[in-house]
Amino acid sequence: MDLRPYANYLRAGSAMIAGLAIGLLATVLSLNAGYGFNSLRAGPWAAWPHIGGADIDPYARAVISRSGEAPLGRDQGLAFIARADSDGAALDGECAYRIVDPMPAARFWTIALASPDGRLVANPTERYGYSSVDVLRKENGAFEIDVAREARPGNWLSPGQAQGFVVMLRLYDTPLDIESNPDPNSFPKIVKLGCA
Amino acid sequence: MRLNIPDRYLDLLPWLMATLLVAGIVHIVSVLLMPTVAPRDALGRLATYVKSAAPAEGVVLLPPMAPGDETLPFEDPAFAEAVCVYDLGKGPLRVKTSVDGEDFLGLSFHANAGRIYHSMTDRSAIKGKIDIVIGDARQIDAMQSADEGDAPPPSEVRLTAPAKRGFVLIRSLAKRPSDQERARNRLSAISCQRFDLPQG
Repeated sequence: MDLRPYANYLRAGSAMIAGLAIGLLATVLSLNAGYGFNSLRAGPWAAWPHIGGADIDPYARAVISRSGEAPLGRDQGLAFIARADSDGAALDGECAYRIVDPMPAARFWTIALASPDGRLVANPTERYGYSSVDVLRKENGAFEIDVAREARPGNWLSPGQAQGFVVMLRLYDTPLDIESNPDPNSFPKIVKLGCA
Repeated sequence: MRLNIPDRYLDLLPWLMATLLVAGIVHIVSVLLMPTVAPRDALGRLATYVKSAAPAEGVVLLPPMAPGDETLPFEDPAFAEAVCVYDLGKGPLRVKTSVDGEDFLGLSFHANAGRIYHSMTDRSAIKGKIDIVIGDARQIDAMQSADEGDAPPPSEVRLTAPAKRGFVLIRSLAKRPSDQERARNRLSAISCQRFDLPQG
């Protein structure tokens, strides 16, 4: 059968199909890459303050309506997420980490573990995070939070049997400037202690 | 200088450009449509829960967070939360509570399709009271024209919601895990009620 008279139709058809596939792929990739533009970064921590306001960009709206989350309002505080330790290696449930001072100014802060898709991490202690009020501090006010599967003295968060997890740092009523990247040295460090 | 490209490939160039154009349009349209087509967005999840928990209107407490039983993803486990799902088609809404100035209470006002049009904490309460009225543009206008008399100025904060459907998410911090009960009690004290527009 001679297809030559229909060559242009075939080409148009494949251009359509290929365009559809590439376009949807670009959408999936861009929605998995974070919450759109204008992120704040400080060491391993990243926040997207604009998702909490009326000027949220279309990418961020698409991301949060797909994941089903209700972000923190911009006038309430900032939620930072860390997917890696301070050396840039992805957080791994097999490893032990220590989260140490300092902390940016805020009326309250909380540090909690979450699964990469935002669920609580099941663990035997049933403790999912610490707040600025209930964290145990040293004499000078400094604190350390250990993240490890085995029990630790002091502040201890367990990732349970999770392989991958993220650390959420939420600052409530914070005077932090959201127009420029904050000083990474004013944010907690996530130090890897070792891996099983 | 002549580029040594066979004509065959040059013939395909317009089709390649057409492909990229289609890809660009598909990408932009799918991103923009996502908030309207995503079935499990925050409003959808909360509306489902509210319907299953209590068919009544007003403030509905969300169940304590537990692994595998989170109503919304990426919420802070240190908080007790409540929601007021509204539809302004039935009338404007008043959210009211008093605060003690000690415990963190956050209110965020979400329109459908993932947009927060207002957010506040107990810090911006006026004289220990939070009194907020939400309405669409027409309802807020009606309230404003009803004010034009010798009535005292309104004591509430009025917000124009960008869409008829949405929800108010109220977060109450339990500073220690043992404070959960107190945090939930603070949420129960909040009222979120529909009211009738003043006549006239």
